[in-house]
Amino acid sequence: MFTTPRLVAIALCAALNFSIGNIVYLIKLPIYLDSVGTILCALLLLPDRTAAVVCAFIAGFIGIVLTGLLINPFLPWFAFSVLAIALVSALLTGRGTGTFRARPLPAGPFAAKVVFYGVITGIVSAVVSAPVVIYLFGGVTGSGSALVVAYFVKTGNFLWDATLRSGLIIEPIDKTLQVLLAALLYRATPKDFLAMLRPTAQPSVT
Amino acid sequence: MTPNGAIVFGLLVIGGAVVARDLPSLAIVLALALIFGLGSGRRIVMALGWSIAIVAPLAGFMGLVWVGIVGGAPDEIGAGTEGSRAAAAAYVALISLRLFAIAFVVQATFLRFADMTPLQFVRRLSMPALAKKLVVLTLSLIETILYAIDRARTALIAAGIVTRRPSPRNLRNGWLLVQTVWLTVVTIAIGRTRDKWPTEETLALIDGTLADATPRRLTAIDVAWMVVALGSLALAVGMR
Repeated sequence: MFTTPRLVAIALCAALNFSIGNIVYLIKLPIYLDSVGTILCALLLLPDRTAAVVCAFIAGFIGIVLTGLLINPFLPWFAFSVLAIALVSALLTGRGTGTFRARPLPAGPFAAKVVFYGVITGIVSAVVSAPVVIYLFGGVTGSGSALVVAYFVKTGNFLWDATLRSGLIIEPIDKTLQVLLAALLYRATPKDFLAMLRPTAQPSVT
Repeated sequence: MTPNGAIVFGLLVIGGAVVARDLPSLAIVLALALIFGLGSGRRIVMALGWSIAIVAPLAGFMGLVWVGIVGGAPDEIGAGTEGSRAAAAAYVALISLRLFAIAFVVQATFLRFADMTPLQFVRRLSMPALAKKLVVLTLSLIETILYAIDRARTALIAAGIVTRRPSPRNLRNGWLLVQTVWLTVVTIAIGRTRDKWPTEETLALIDGTLADATPRRLTAIDVAWMVVALGSLALAVGMR
């Protein structure tokens, strides 16, 4: 499963997850794009779904551990969210790879699939992340979604309901953007690189 | 102390911070983390500063939400009683202290090995060779990506496609920067994987370098710290 090009793809996507925060900071965007590398890794490794799940999770996990050590020590708590995103990306979002690379770009189907996969990824991510947000952060993570949590709590919701509802509003928007970016990067990836990731000539390193 | 021992100790302390449900038990965990941090000498000041810088904005924001906007603690809201700002403040203090303990112990653990380069640190870890290689490759590619970001950003600013400051143009064209960076690093990766590394036998050299330093087994000091951490974890559980 772990050929040298695949190891490089995992490392690239982990590094992308880590570095993209730097890009977001540099161009001052009001969003978080912390899973683009994870989604992209799954797309790159398809049609080998097992490899796509495993490699995407490893890429996401290394990304959150390195970010956890150097920038945000609370990110590794979301390891299960990374696993969920890897699973959804490999098993669902991967079904759109044909559309994502089609030339010329079929704008309608492309947009519809990005939104559909993004919303599903967001819903799954919100449900898996909610226990961490509630227990570790007490419902408030420092992002704008905390104001939504506050609104729901203020209007009589329990913390669990408020956090989950807030996640279900914010996460699909964020994840749709991430799926869009991953699809665009996948579309831009040279054929040579995709060919290197196929399990053919390269010897396994394990 | 070995890197593996320090990591296990850190995980145990983090476990203690997570299960601690009140300020006294959290204070015990935090005191242990501080004593451990003293082992990194003057770097403890750096670890404290970093942890405060990470947690302070979060604490401020939590204070704004729970004390300012909601005006009560979640427990009170769950019980259907009228909330008080004092209870909300105590709740914010507990969560903030827990987050501070986690942030600090992560820093204190790794600052003990601040004299090592990342490669030296990874070499001394007891973990599968494949995992070590992945971490080393990722660290190397992070450097490559950061350089690519610098170059691409400068080029796109010079071309008037993005700006240095926040702007609608950045929102519209920001993804071009991401795409440019991705294409740059993928091209570099193709070149390295297909031509450079096989010619220079880079991966074999990495394997040799990582295997060269035989990871040390846990030392008596490691075990002692772990026992103390387990004690604080048990105490935190017992005080629930």
